[in-house]
Formats: sequence, C-alpha cells, structure tokens
Amino acid sequence: MADSHTFDAKGHNPDTDGSLPPEGSELEAHLQSKHMVINMGPSHPATHGTVRLKVELDGETIVKIDPEIGFLHRGFQKSCENVTWTQCLPYTDRLNYLSAMMNNFGFLNAVEKLIGLEIPERAQYIRVIGSELHRLTDHLTCVGATGLEMGGFAPFLYGMEARELLQDRVTELTGARLTTSFGRVGGINRDLPEGWADKVHKTLTRTEELLVEMDGLLTRNRIFVDRTKNTGVISAEDAIDYGWTGPALRACGIDHDLRKAHPYWVYERFNFSVAVGEHGDNYDRYLVRMEEMRQSISIIRQALETIPAGPIIVDDWRIALPPKPEVYGTIEGVMAHFKLVMEGIQVPPGECYDATEASNGELGWYLVSDGRGRPYKVHVRAPGFPVLAAVPHIIEGKMLADLIPTFDTINMIGGEVEQ
Amino acid sequence: MKRVLTVLFAMGFIVATLAGVSAAAYAVAGLAEKHLFPGASRLSNILFLMLVFVMIIATLLTIAERKWSALMQDRVGPNRARINLPGIRNRSLAGLPHILTDVLKMLTKEDFIPGTANRFLFKLGPILAFAPVFALFAVVPAGPSVTVFGHHVDMVVATPDFGVLYLLAIASLAVYGTALAGWSSNNKFALLGGVRASSQMISYEVALGLSLVGLFMAFSSLQLPPLVGELGLDGAQATGQAQYLWRTDGAFDFGLPAWGFILQPIGFIGFFVASFAETKRAPFDVPEGESEIIGYFVEYSGMKFGMFMISEFVEVVVLAGVTTALFFGGHHLPFGGEWLASQPLMQEHGWLYGTLLATVFWVKVVFLIWVQLVIRWTFPRFRYDQIQSLGWKILLPLGLANVFVTGALVLWDPSLRALAVVGMLEIGVLVVLTMTKKEEAAEGGAHGAHGAHGHDHGHDAHGLPAHASATSSH
Repeated sequence: MADSHTFDAKGHNPDTDGSLPPEGSELEAHLQSKHMVINMGPSHPATHGTVRLKVELDGETIVKIDPEIGFLHRGFQKSCENVTWTQCLPYTDRLNYLSAMMNNFGFLNAVEKLIGLEIPERAQYIRVIGSELHRLTDHLTCVGATGLEMGGFAPFLYGMEARELLQDRVTELTGARLTTSFGRVGGINRDLPEGWADKVHKTLTRTEELLVEMDGLLTRNRIFVDRTKNTGVISAEDAIDYGWTGPALRACGIDHDLRKAHPYWVYERFNFSVAVGEHGDNYDRYLVRMEEMRQSISIIRQALETIPAGPIIVDDWRIALPPKPEVYGTIEGVMAHFKLVMEGIQVPPGECYDATEASNGELGWYLVSDGRGRPYKVHVRAPGFPVLAAVPHIIEGKMLADLIPTFDTINMIGGEVEQ
Repeated sequence: MKRVLTVLFAMGFIVATLAGVSAAAYAVAGLAEKHLFPGASRLSNILFLMLVFVMIIATLLTIAERKWSALMQDRVGPNRARINLPGIRNRSLAGLPHILTDVLKMLTKEDFIPGTANRFLFKLGPILAFAPVFALFAVVPAGPSVTVFGHHVDMVVATPDFGVLYLLAIASLAVYGTALAGWSSNNKFALLGGVRASSQMISYEVALGLSLVGLFMAFSSLQLPPLVGELGLDGAQATGQAQYLWRTDGAFDFGLPAWGFILQPIGFIGFFVASFAETKRAPFDVPEGESEIIGYFVEYSGMKFGMFMISEFVEVVVLAGVTTALFFGGHHLPFGGEWLASQPLMQEHGWLYGTLLATVFWVKVVFLIWVQLVIRWTFPRFRYDQIQSLGWKILLPLGLANVFVTGALVLWDPSLRALAVVGMLEIGVLVVLTMTKKEEAAEGGAHGAHGAHGHDHGHDAHGLPAHASATSSH
C-alpha cells in the first residue's frame, strides 16, 4: 500500500480516485479523509443486551450502521418443540426478560385460543394486573436507561427504585423477580397473596411520586429535549412499512393498541386511554412511555378494585392439574396428573396466530399443533425485531450521539429479538 | 433526622477545619517571613494553598461527590470500606476510608500501556492534564494581606501584572493533555474523545475570556487582588469588590456590595458555563461520554487514570476559587467588613483577622463547589454539536453584547451604580424566565402525550444559563 501514497497522476490510486483534483491544481486537493469503522458492542454500555453495531463514521456522522444480532440466541423455537406446552413457559420468560409475565400470558393466551378455551374471569383479571405490572417495570427501565445513557444518573435510579418495589410485588405474586413462569394453560397457578392488593396500591403511589420526579428531571430539561426532539425520527408510513408496533409506532401518531383494537381478557372493562405521539422522534417515544406508565397504574388500580372472586383456573383435568387432595385420594386424580405431566396437554391439531400488546408492541405467537402433547412449531413475532431492523434507516446520516437516545427509546430487547 | 444531624455536624466540621488550616497558613507564613528571607511567605503559600487546600479539597471531593449524588438519588452512597481498628471497626466513617481504598487501588493496579500506543506521549498525557490545572490557583488570593509577627503576609502565591491572563493561558494548556491522551492511545474511541475534548475546550476559550472583559472594565484591572479589592479604612476609598454601591451610614457598614455577579450577571453566567465546559464534567462531558465513546482515557489504567480523574476535581476547586475571587467578592464579607476590620482586637491580631476572612473565602468556595455538584448530577449530557452552538451562537454573542453594554454603562456612571441596576434587572429577567417556564410546564404536563410538542414555546435562547443562575442564586 506504500506506493498508493506517492503522487502519480496517471496511476490508479484507490485513496484518491473520485476526488482527484483537476490538472494543475494540486494545491487545491482536498484533505484525504477516511471513514472510521468502530464497533459499538457486543460489550458496550449503550447496547443494553448484547448487540454489536458496526458503525462507519465520517467524523461524528454515521455513514453506515450495521446491527449484528445473535449473541443472545438460545434456540428458543427448537427448544419449545422438544417439551410439553406447559414446559415452554420458562423459555418464554427469557424472551423479554424485563416483562416476563407478558410473554407468559401471551403464550398461554395463544395456546388457549388453539384449544378454544375460555379462562375464568378472575384469572383474566390477574393476567391484566400481572401484565400491567410488568409493563410498568419495562417502561421504567427503558425511560431510566434513556436518562442514564444521556448522562442523567438520577432519573435512572428513581426508575430503579420504583422498579425494585414493583419487582417485590411481582415476587410476592409469582415467586420470582424476573423469570416468573407465571400462569398455566387455562388460568393462573396461584391466587393473589393475602393483603397483596394493599401493598400494590402503596407501591403504585410511590411509583407515581417517582414518576413525577423523573418527569421533572427529564421532560422539560432543555438538554434532554434538545437531544431527543427531532432525533431518531421515523415517519408513520415508514414505521408501518417496517412493521413497527407498540409505543414506538404510537409515537409516530398511529393510534394502534391491541388492548383497544382487539380487546383480550377484560381490557375493555377498564377506563384507560392510549398515548399517541405526533412526530415519531425520541422525545415522543419517551413521552408515550411515560404516559403509558400512568395509564398502567390506573388500570392496575381499577383491576384491583373490581376483581371478582371465583376460580383461577378451569376445572378441566385434561388441561389443568387436578387439586392435590384428588391426586392423593382418587385414582382419577392420579391418572389425570400423570397424563398431564408425562404427555402434556393434548392440544388439538391445527394452527393459530394470536397477539397481545406487550410493552414494546405486538407480541405475536404462531403456534402449530400436531395433536401430540408438544408444540409442532412455536414462532414468536418479537416486537423488537422490526424496530431494530429500522435503526439503519433512522440513524444513517445522523450523529453518533443520536444513536444513543434512539437505541434507548426504541427499546430493543436482545432476548426476544435473538430468541 | 440522624442524617440531617450528620450533615449539620459535617458542615460545622468543614468550616472549623477550614478556619484551622487558614490560621496555620497565616502562622507559618508569618514565621517564614520572620526567620527566612523576605518573601518567603509566598513559598509557604504554595505549600498551603496549592497542596493543602486545593489538593485535599479535591481529594475529599471524590467522596463528597459520591455522597452528594447518593443523597440526590435516594441512595446511601459509599459506606463499605472500614478500618480494622478497635472502636471504628463497625463504623462507615461517612465513607472516608474509601479515599484510602481508591488510592490503594489505583496505585496497585497494573499500569497497562497498549502495545501500539506512543509510549512517550501516552505517559505525557496525564501529566499535561494535571499540571496546568494545579498551577492555576497560583494567582488567586485566598485571604487578606495582614501583619503577622510584625511582618506583612499575603495569602496569594503570585501577583503577576497579567493576572487573569495567566489563568486563561494556563487553563488552555490543559487541552494538550486530553488531546494527547486521546491520540497517543491509538484507540478509535479515545481518538474521538480527544478530538471532542480539543474542539470543545478551544471553542469555549473565547467565551471564557470574553465573559471577563466587562469585569476588567468595571474595576480597571487585570490582576486578581485589585479585582477583589481593598476595604475603605481610615477615610480611604474602597476599591474592587470591597466597595459598596449603596450603604448605610454608621459604624456598622451595611449595604449592597459591588460583587461581580451583581455587576456582571451575564458575564458571571458566561464564565461559569464556559469554565464548566473546560472542566469537562456533565453536562459538558462529551469527551468522556461514557455511554457513547467511553472517553479519551479509555486506555489508561491505575494512577495514570487517577491523574485524569483527580485533575477534574482539582479543576472544580480551582473554578470555584476563581469564581469566588472574580464574582463573589473574594474573601470579603457581604456587609460589616469595615466594621470588623476596625475592631481593636482585629487590628491587634492580624492573623485572627486573616483567618476569619480566609475562612469566608473557603466557605464561598465550598458553596460554589456544591453548586457544581448539583448541576453535575441534575443535567444530562449535551450533544457534541449542541455544545458548540451553545458556545459559539449563544455565549459568544452574549459576551460581546455584554462588553459593549458594560463599557457604555461604566463610561456613563463610573460609580458602577448604573451597571448594578442593569445587572439586577438582568438577574430579575433570568429568574422570571425560569419561573414562567415552570408554570407553562405545569399545564404542558396536563395534556401529556397527545400534544407532545405543545409546550415548546418558552424555551428561549438562554434556557440553560437561566437554569444555572437559578440554582446558584439561592
């Protein structure tokens, strides 16, 4: 390569071709600059999970960006094919690890749709409460991390305090902080603990206080607004073309929320509004998430007030485990238990697609059953995947510093994108 | 409650320690004059002002910053390091042992130099970053000139004729350290950080110098001691920031002192913001930007990294000291200064008078350091081009306008009163701007997500400086 630096007007010089000065004006030649390629990730503070972003820079401007996924690939789909329907649950926890219950319930809902099963009302309420709790933790993490990665440590820690309190409630409900594996086909495996509702109310009050503080630190902070407004912009048409859903799509001004568009469980009974943005930039995505958290709090409060008494799982021994006295006391109970554990739920052959509104958008499930006790095919439509796919479209030509808030507010979660 | 008591005790302890060290500084300076050669007190001042005061405050700042940020963020802060001695074995001692552990950690870590780095420049980087900020404090007067043991003692290291220009010149040297560190590491992230640091610091030099011109014109001097001023004793006319704009008659003097931030609020904000940018701390920490490019010192480890870190804290102390001397009346009391100086006890014991006023100076410094900590932990980081536009498009024109307005006002009314009236009007406008923003915000939040961009008006050109002034003025 040494000879490429020597000046030779006739020779082929890859460094200067295309920008060769006209004859006789050597002095007016432009400074030759090269693009710099840097690796953001796979281990980098701004790539939440483990994503590698190959970024080609011209100064501080991003010329080209290439997100490379797969570092968190676990073989989710194949794993599910080898276990019973119920045993898929722990795998779904790891999809969006910030809101495991929504994955659990989304999967269960799809299985129930395939069976054609209606679950008890109380179970539906508990699913709504669990989902909204985890929507809160997910959004808190996203908004907090947005603040953190732009240099504001305080909003992150306020968010973490609220999230820890909510995780405590989740732990009391499910027995685990993150990997909840909560719910079973046909309902819920355990009821709300005693006195839990009051604790949740208290936690929500504290969360509201902390939201006010985060709001005060960020929403009208001139620096935060400057960095998020008009950065990471995507038009509504492009967002739909890429397949965006959830808060990121709503920030573009599209009023689409599955909880309203195709109400499932008991969502139509609650009074809540869908936050819709306008410009599709980072600031709107942030605002939409903040507003969704307030709506989630309101939904949880309404659900806890109006939750009816009753069974939490269907009384059908082909689907739900029989009560323990029956298992220990009757031969029918033992047999049903044995069949369910060893062979799994006999989901009728067929296929279905079902989707719920997860924290980052439409979490879709395409399930195929061949009538054995195990899934023939489980496909997840992870909301983060199309969102991540649009990152190059959004960010190319913008500044390196814009990548950080953009990557934060689209909230791509490695676990569900890479499965 | 316990926390409040602890904080109150800590504050009292800090003031008492400052007074104690000030007294020692005056005593040692007096002894040096007496037993060594004339002018030896300047040498002892190097020891006390630069090594004891600046260095120890900077060291303690590492803990203070962590403790204060913890307080702001509902955390406890560092409390794990313990000293294994009877009596204090189970006490966290307010996290102070962490200083020790931090130093030990930095000194014992592997001193790693990347194979492709330029070894000489790589080693030169931390030194060039550290030494200039350390030398900055030499021209800042930290206390009055008094008579100790029959000898005249100044509480300042050097009083060159070019005074503040020394500050500006030495401060701009610090950029070499960061630029070299970024370049010599042979790391792309470090290079980006180094380039960001150079461009940021160079563009803020202009605003930094320009924001002080108004002050020079008002007091007709470039040296720091005349800017701080002398009290008007025995019928003499008070000078610098020691004079009063309006005062009551009587033995106890009370009135509005001619402090820099009253005469030059725009200059003060410009200087504070620009020098904040020079310290490379949040919200101006783009050269570091740990979530974007990790920083210009990404390849440094051990004490070499420690030098960068501690030089940042030294900058904080020096910035607070310079701002105090230039804009907050230096070591002068806001009122009652002449009354205090005319007390027989004070005239008899010069060291006592010096100690009192030096303590006043350091208390002001500690307050300004606290202001910087609050700002640092409140704001997120600017974007690289936004910093540039703040410097070139807002601070620079503001500074220029300020120079012309100040010049005209000083010519028109040499008693500086017209300047003060305009200054207070400016402060009023800034406070009103900050307040109205809050009210608009309240209604903006009500129609939350739907009118996402509805509350944009009200962000005017000096949104951030207005905010900074509100924090610092109460």
